[in-house]
Amino acid sequence: MKKYILNSFVAAIILFAAACKPEIETPAGTTAGQANFSKYIAIGNSLTSGYADGGLYLEGQKVAYPNLIAAKMATVGGGAFTSPFFSEEHSNGSGYISLTALVNGTPTLTPVIDKLAIRDAAKHLDKYNGEIQNLGIPGMRVDLAFDPTLTFSAANPYFERLLPDAQVGKTNYFQFIQGRNHTFFSLWLGNNDVLGYALNGAVTVSTDPTTTLTDKVTFSSLYANFLNALTAGGQKGIVGTIPDVTAVPYFNTVTVAALLNAAKAINPAASSIYIQTGTGAVRPATAEDLIRLPFQSEGIFGKPNGSGIPYGLHPLNPIENKWVLDKDEVIKVKDYVNSYNSSIKSLATSKGLAIADTYAYFNQVKTGINVQGVGINASFITGGAFSLDGIHLTPRGNAVIANVFIDAINAKYGSTIPTVDITQYRGVKFPN
Amino acid sequence: MRKILLSALLSAPLWVLGQGFQVNLQGQKQIGMAGAGSALALDEASVFYNPGAVTFLEKNSVSAGVNPLLFKSAFKQTGSNVTEDVKNKIAPPFEFYAVWGPKSNKWKLGLGVYTPFGGLVDWGDNWSGKYALTSLNLKAIYFQPTLSIKITDRIGIGAGFVYNHGDVNLQRAIPVNFPDGRSGKATLDGTGTGYGWNAGLYIKTLSNISFALVHKSKVITKLDGGSAEFEVPKSLEGSFPAGNTFNAELPLPATTSLGIGIPLSKSTVLAFDASWVQWHIYQDLSFDYATNTPALVDTKSARNYRDGSSFKLGINHQASEKLALRAGVGYAFSPVQDGYVTPEAPDADRYILSAGLGYTPTRHFEVNASFFFEDVKSRKQKNIETGLDGTFKTLVYAPGISLTYKW
Repeated sequence: MKKYILNSFVAAIILFAAACKPEIETPAGTTAGQANFSKYIAIGNSLTSGYADGGLYLEGQKVAYPNLIAAKMATVGGGAFTSPFFSEEHSNGSGYISLTALVNGTPTLTPVIDKLAIRDAAKHLDKYNGEIQNLGIPGMRVDLAFDPTLTFSAANPYFERLLPDAQVGKTNYFQFIQGRNHTFFSLWLGNNDVLGYALNGAVTVSTDPTTTLTDKVTFSSLYANFLNALTAGGQKGIVGTIPDVTAVPYFNTVTVAALLNAAKAINPAASSIYIQTGTGAVRPATAEDLIRLPFQSEGIFGKPNGSGIPYGLHPLNPIENKWVLDKDEVIKVKDYVNSYNSSIKSLATSKGLAIADTYAYFNQVKTGINVQGVGINASFITGGAFSLDGIHLTPRGNAVIANVFIDAINAKYGSTIPTVDITQYRGVKFPN
Repeated sequence: MRKILLSALLSAPLWVLGQGFQVNLQGQKQIGMAGAGSALALDEASVFYNPGAVTFLEKNSVSAGVNPLLFKSAFKQTGSNVTEDVKNKIAPPFEFYAVWGPKSNKWKLGLGVYTPFGGLVDWGDNWSGKYALTSLNLKAIYFQPTLSIKITDRIGIGAGFVYNHGDVNLQRAIPVNFPDGRSGKATLDGTGTGYGWNAGLYIKTLSNISFALVHKSKVITKLDGGSAEFEVPKSLEGSFPAGNTFNAELPLPATTSLGIGIPLSKSTVLAFDASWVQWHIYQDLSFDYATNTPALVDTKSARNYRDGSSFKLGINHQASEKLALRAGVGYAFSPVQDGYVTPEAPDADRYILSAGLGYTPTRHFEVNASFFFEDVKSRKQKNIETGLDGTFKTLVYAPGISLTYKW
C-alpha cells in the first residue's frame, strides 16, 4: 500500500520534470533563405553611422541600426561586422547634447564636451584605420557621393577620419564603398539630398553644397549607379526609402501656435506670428508653416529691434526665412522626397532587392504607434524614437528601424533573421 | 436511461467560457477528478461545489488543504528566437472547510474559505514585454458561511453568503529612461472587498444518478485607495507625484454549473460538470488615480472578455476500505478574445488532466492528495492596446494535499 503511494508520487515527479517547461517552436534564426549574410556592409549617412543627439559618439555607434541587424544576422550565417568605433577614452566622439534639466516641460540642452575624439585645432576627429563594414558617414548625400572634385572627402570630418592621409581629398564616397567583397548590403541614402536644404530653412547657400536640393533626374541616375556597383557580383541587399523630412520633431516642435501662446502670455494683444517666406514676402504664419527646432534656444523671439519692434510679432520684424520652412517650401520638399522614393523603389524592384519602406513607417510613427508595449511617436524628447537633435534616432528608434529592415529582408529572401527586442533599448535619458 | 441523459447533456449548446484568472482548486477529491463533483456529496468541499449537497454529508468534518501552484508561462516575441519564461514562483491556493449539523437532522451548517480567483506571474524586470507588465500578484479569498437543507430524502438546497478579500499587486516598466539607461517603474498595490453568494440544488434520483445545479454569483471587488508608486527620473517626478493613490474595480464572474453523478458500481462513481463562467462582466481594467497629470491620466484598458466554459469528467474509485483513487480530464474554453491576451493572464483554451488518491487510516481521519495539470494551448497574439506581439504557451502544475477530521 505504502509502496503504491510512493510509486505514484515518483511517477508524478518524473512526469513533472520531463514536461515542466513550455516550449515555443518558431522558425526564427534558422535560415538565411536565398541570401548570404556572411559579409554585410551598410551604406548610408548619419542614420547608418549611429549619429544621435547632434553628434557621433560611441554609445550611438554601437546601437546603429546596421549593427543591431548584423548582430541578429549572426544566427543565420552572418559574419563579423566592423564599425569605426571611437575609443573608450574618446567615447564622446564629436561631442553631443544631453538633456540636463526639464522644468515645466522646457528642456535645457547642454553640450557634452569631455572625452572628445577631436585630434587637432581644425576639429578633425580621431582616425580609424582598419576594415569597416558600417560605412555610414554623417552628412553623406547621393550627389556628393559622386563629388567629382573629391574635396568632400577632406571637408567632411566623418569621412576624413576613415581615410588614410594619402587618400584625403583624393576619393569620393562612391569609390570608397567599392571593392569590399560584400555578400549583402543595405543602402539607406538620400535623406540629406533634401534634408540639407530643409534644415537650412530652404535656403541654399551657394558656397555650401550640403544645402542644395539634388535634381530629381540626377538623383535617380546616381542611385542607379550605386545599385549597379553594389549588385555587380550578384549580391542581394536592401534599400531604405527616405522619410518625409517634415515627420521629424525638428520641424514639429516649435509650432506657430506654441509661439503665439508664448507671446500672448506676455502680451495678450498679440494676434499673429509673422514670417518671411522663401519668396521674401512677409505674412502672418499659419499652422502649415514649420519652424526649425533650434529657433527655440536661439533666444531671439520677441526681442525688440532698434526701432523697438519685437522679433516675429510684427510685419516689420518677421521671423527670417532661414528659420522657416513655409508651406510652399514644405510642398516642394515633400515633392522631392516622393520623387526620390519612387526612383528608389523602382530601381530596387528592377534589381530584385528588398525595400525597407521607412517613409511609410515614419509616417505611422508621426501619428503614434505601440510596439511591444512601448508607445512611440514623433514628439520631441517624450516620443521615444527621436534623439535630442529632433532628427536622428534614439537607441529605441534604431531598434525599431532595424526591425523594419529585418522584416523586409526576411519577406524578400525567405530568411529568418530574428527581430530585435526593442524594449532593451532606451529612449531619451531624463535627468535625475 | 444513463445514456440518454449523457447524450442530452453533450448535445446541449456548447457554452463558450473562459478561464482567465479562475483557479479551479477547491477540494482535493474534486481536484483529483479534474474539478468535477458538484453532483456528488463527497465531502465538506461541497460548501464550494454545491451547497445543496452539504446536507447529504454523513459526518461532520473540518478539513484544510493547499495546492502549491506552479504557473509556467513562456513567451516568444514574433520574429524572435528568444523564449522567455516566467520566474518560478509558487502560488498557494488553499481551502478550509467545516461542516456541522445535528445527526439525522434536515440541515447542516458549513463554512468555506477558499481562493477561487488569483494569478501569480513574474516575468522579471527586463523581459521583452516589461512595458505591458512585469509582474502580477492577484489573490481573491472568499469566506462563505453556508446553510444546507434537505427538502426531501433526495433533494437538497443550500446557499451561502460570500465575502471576498482581494489583494492586487501589479508592476510594469515605464518607457522613460534614467541617466544610466534603465527604465522607470510603476507599482500599483491595493486591497479590496466584494460580496456575493453561492447557491445550489442537489437531486438524487431513484436510480441513484444525481444532479446538481449551482450558481455562484459575480463578486465585484472594489479597490479603494490603493497605492500608486512611480519610480522615474527626478526631472519627471512632477508628472508622477509621490504618494498617489488609485481606485479600481475587478469584477469576478458568476459561474453556473450543471453536474451529474453516475454510480457505475458500489465502489465507483463518475462525475461530470459543465460550467458556464460569465466573464463578460470583465470589459475593462480601469485605474482612477487620485492625482492626475498630463503624463498620468486615468487609464481604461479594454479587456472585452466573453463568457467562458469548462467541461470536466472525473472518476472516483474506492479501491479498498481505506484507499480511494481518482482521475479526471477536462477542457476549458478561454474567455479572452483575440487581440486581448495579456501577459497578466496569457490565456487560451486548455486541457486538464488530474489524478488523486485518498487514504483513510482511521474512522476520524483522512488524507487526500491530488495532482492537477493544465496544458494551456500555445497562442500567437498581437495585443490591440499595447502592441505586444508574440506567442504565449503555459503549463500549470499543482500538487495538493489536505487533511480532514470527521466525527
